[in-house]
Amino acid sequence: MSNKIIEELYYSKNDEWIKVENDIGTIGITDYAQDQLGDIVYVEEIKKGINLNKGDVVSTVESVKAVSDVYSPISGEVVEVNQDIIEDPSIINKDPFGQGWFAKIKMDKPEELDELMSASEYSEYRKE
Amino acid sequence: MRYIPSTKEQQREMLEEIGVSSFEELLKNIPEKVKLKRKLNIPPALSEQELEEKIVKIARKNSNFYEMKPLLGAGAYRHFIPEAQKSLLQREEFWTCYTPYQPELSQGTLQSMFEFQSYISRLTKMDIVIPSIFDGASSAGEAALMSLRLTHKNKIIVSSLIHPHYRETIKTYLAPHDIEIIELPYHDGLIQFDQLEQLLDEGTAAVLIQSPNFFGGIENLAAISELTHQKKALLIDIIVESMSMGILKSPGDLDVDIVAGSAQSFGMDLNFGGPYNAFLATKKKYVRQIPGRIAGETKDKDGKRAFVMTFRAREQDIRREKATSNMCTNHNLNVIAADIYLSLMGTEGIYQYSLLNAKKAHYLEKQLLKTGKFEKVFNYPYFNEFLIKYNGDIKNINKVLMENNFIPPLTISSLYPDNNLKQTLLFAITEILSRDEMNLITNLFSQQRRKI
Amino acid sequence: MKLIFEKSIPGRDAYSLPADLFQDIQIEDCLHEKHLDKDKKQLTEVSEVDVIRHFTKLSKFNYGVDDGLYPLGSCTMKYNPRINEKMAALNQFVYAHPLSSPEMIQGSLEIIYQLNLLLSEITAMNQYTMAPASGAHGELTGNLIMRQYFIDHGEKRTKMLIPDSAHGTNPASAAMAGFEVIEIKSNENGTVDLNSLKNAMDEQTVGLMLTNPNTVGLYDEGIEDIEKIVHQKGGLLYYDGANLNASMGIIRPGDAGFDVVHLNLHKTFSTPHGGGGPGAGVIGVKDRLIPYLPTPIVDFDSTGNKYFLKDIGKKSIGMVRSFWGNFSVLVKTYTWILSLGPEYLYQCSKTSIINANYVLAKLKKYYKPAYDQYCGHECTLTGREYKKYGIKTLQIAKRLMDYGYHPPTIYFPHFEPYAEETIMIEPPESEGKEVLDNFIEVMIKISQEAKDNPDLLKSAPHNTPISQTDDVMAVKRPILTYDDELKLRNELNYQEKDIDYY
Repeated sequence: MSNKIIEELYYSKNDEWIKVENDIGTIGITDYAQDQLGDIVYVEEIKKGINLNKGDVVSTVESVKAVSDVYSPISGEVVEVNQDIIEDPSIINKDPFGQGWFAKIKMDKPEELDELMSASEYSEYRKE
Repeated sequence: MRYIPSTKEQQREMLEEIGVSSFEELLKNIPEKVKLKRKLNIPPALSEQELEEKIVKIARKNSNFYEMKPLLGAGAYRHFIPEAQKSLLQREEFWTCYTPYQPELSQGTLQSMFEFQSYISRLTKMDIVIPSIFDGASSAGEAALMSLRLTHKNKIIVSSLIHPHYRETIKTYLAPHDIEIIELPYHDGLIQFDQLEQLLDEGTAAVLIQSPNFFGGIENLAAISELTHQKKALLIDIIVESMSMGILKSPGDLDVDIVAGSAQSFGMDLNFGGPYNAFLATKKKYVRQIPGRIAGETKDKDGKRAFVMTFRAREQDIRREKATSNMCTNHNLNVIAADIYLSLMGTEGIYQYSLLNAKKAHYLEKQLLKTGKFEKVFNYPYFNEFLIKYNGDIKNINKVLMENNFIPPLTISSLYPDNNLKQTLLFAITEILSRDEMNLITNLFSQQRRKI
Repeated sequence: MKLIFEKSIPGRDAYSLPADLFQDIQIEDCLHEKHLDKDKKQLTEVSEVDVIRHFTKLSKFNYGVDDGLYPLGSCTMKYNPRINEKMAALNQFVYAHPLSSPEMIQGSLEIIYQLNLLLSEITAMNQYTMAPASGAHGELTGNLIMRQYFIDHGEKRTKMLIPDSAHGTNPASAAMAGFEVIEIKSNENGTVDLNSLKNAMDEQTVGLMLTNPNTVGLYDEGIEDIEKIVHQKGGLLYYDGANLNASMGIIRPGDAGFDVVHLNLHKTFSTPHGGGGPGAGVIGVKDRLIPYLPTPIVDFDSTGNKYFLKDIGKKSIGMVRSFWGNFSVLVKTYTWILSLGPEYLYQCSKTSIINANYVLAKLKKYYKPAYDQYCGHECTLTGREYKKYGIKTLQIAKRLMDYGYHPPTIYFPHFEPYAEETIMIEPPESEGKEVLDNFIEVMIKISQEAKDNPDLLKSAPHNTPISQTDDVMAVKRPILTYDDELKLRNELNYQEKDIDYY
């Protein structure tokens, strides 16, 4: 079972990660999540410019045997969207923390980050 | 009992292995109050011989239908099915198996699904075919729901010339979803085009048209398609008599978005209304919103071509309440029945039989009109089903027809109440009727006295 | 194996035409050319011999109940008696047009009417509709009936409670009926958590959909409390009858307080599965819900001494399909019930319960059960302990095929905390003890192979017509018709390891 983690990221209970740079949060799904899904074959189009509340569905990923909703771990406006993963969903499996990012969100409630887990907390949470 | 192999002795052994002294111990989770404490009040078991005699006796209370040729269709058409198909369907490997979840043990079922999908794709000229929904009516219901998912709009226009049962089913499927259903009136046996122009707007999700329609009329799908797409709505074509596809223009060539088609005419007996089978055919771009199961081609790990159920992530076992439909078991054996039928008929057979259907129906209409006892109701183009007004005693002629081994045509008011359609009959003529029989039918009608 | 399309040779045919082809009529006189396709639809050209050989060979790639044990949990793969088929094939039934006048179809109507009486007695319900064509179709129908009941009573109820153990069709059907699905967690014993149910059940809730025994094969000991909780808040109780094989002559859903019941005739009642249908998912209701049934039903007019199709009335939910039902399936069910009578219906359930508990008892030390209790007609084991050898439950299933068995149901049900990596085994009453013993022996052997020689499982199956399929590619690069394949001809490069007789 794959469960790589990256130190400086924040993690949600639904296996999303967020990388914070100033007021922009880049989100994606974790290595554990992509491993659980198996080969991802489809990613639902993410709408640029929409305003998300924490917990809203950003996208849906589909593998052969499962479908998973991807929830936003924070609130804000979607300022950028990763088209590459729509065209080639396998990028998410290969590089979930890097090239497999989903969207960049301009955070309007940075205090929400306190509700998320740190790398070590998430590692503990997803320990087999 | 011959279906229950384990003997009392074996059951006793098994109970011992389980570690209980009586069977009742295994039921301890069932509250006493709820347990059934008497025998079921149903007839005692019949021997196979007694059973056969009893049921044959019940069957004899039906007319001798095998000998009787139907002069009606209205959603159920008697076509000739070659014996080779019936023989092949006897093979237990086709009918005692389950859903092909394990492709390694189900290539027979999966390849047959794929072949049927391919046949229907060629007949309809549509990209994708879902091979099995229970019947044309439920397929139309699923198609309507699919159009809602695709457009996120809440208005549906339904032709008044869709089979009454199909229209009821569409309404039932749409009832929970707060959808405005607008009925499109007809004129002269086809949908009223100027009314469609008025009713269609940007809030319309789909227009549902049956062609050939319930009266047998061939709708102007090309014009309807253009109009529908101008308003960004989807066009759903409902096909009830699939034999019509043998010679008529294909819905795919008319830019139809979804076809909900009954495949009953492709190798399924009348069976008092079911089970039949229907397909749902659509465009490639709509693949993620399709209901039900679909077979796809892939390779196995040794590079062999293999067939599997695919696009499963939309289905109920994975998506649960978010699935595109709740469908699980469908009418798969009838997919195989149709695959075999179409293989036997082939390119030429479907074309020739389809031609015969059309020609024979038109021949009979002509003969009936010659008697002077009939009047054409409307003037629409039709395939093998038509409306005609009769000035004689319908009760009488029906009796006479039955005595001569014909199931009478449908008295339209029995299924389609309409004040303008009194004394009106709906005939459906397939290849099974001969010229002599049609001449006889004509004579029987013409011999009847005029109704006072 | 080649597709029928690949066997097509121009000039071949398998159909016959009468001499009179109505050459005296021109099709152009019947229909304007704008309606006609200028080209023939290109299907296939093969001979009757080709068709017989093609489908005979195709059938041999399948595995059916007649071939051996088919222990699919929740599917009840029991023997399909031949007399059922013969009765359904009687000409008076097969060629009956559904719109024939009543005096022509008294036999067909009698079958439906009598079947209603039998099913009502077996399940303690008041009236059945034969319209639904499958279990899921029945669930949708049942949900719509419940919806209509509350609308008619002026109550706005929008939620449906469904256990986490439920079959996926339950929430999917509730959603199709417009309800919000509220999931009820199972307790430590694998049955409905009564506190969760109590908290969720309110006056905005339609009711609960329950399978009993449930999907892991356990009778719910809290059934009386469940009934009270739901009914006290004015709700309705729905019974998913997929597991009725554990209950005939033992417990009747109507007696347990269920208001709506669906039965899977192709499961419990021995009608064939057909590779995925046709079956039937008939719906039985208590008196107060009869006005909402789909229309029509069959009734008997005692004065005229005849059966007739009766319109349910204005409150009916309408129709869920054309015509009256999957009639041939109903004939098979009727035949089967009369073959068994009360004594043997009970024996069916008794034997299947003993069978499942026997398999459970013999295999539980090799495959830890999800819940270590006596089960109903199916038992749920798990393949969890084999993870440490790098073996997934899927691989255990695939290895079973090498021994000539169809695998049990795997990965369903799936709910916390114990129903994971599940292997659900249902050995119906038509399986004898020696069949079970052989199966048990093979399962034990595989459990040892998982430890000693895991690669055997990972690369399984080896003896089937095809090996493991690439399901990812099937979705990524969809080929859904022969024409799709033709378009990709250059890319696809099949190894012709398939032996074909041509």
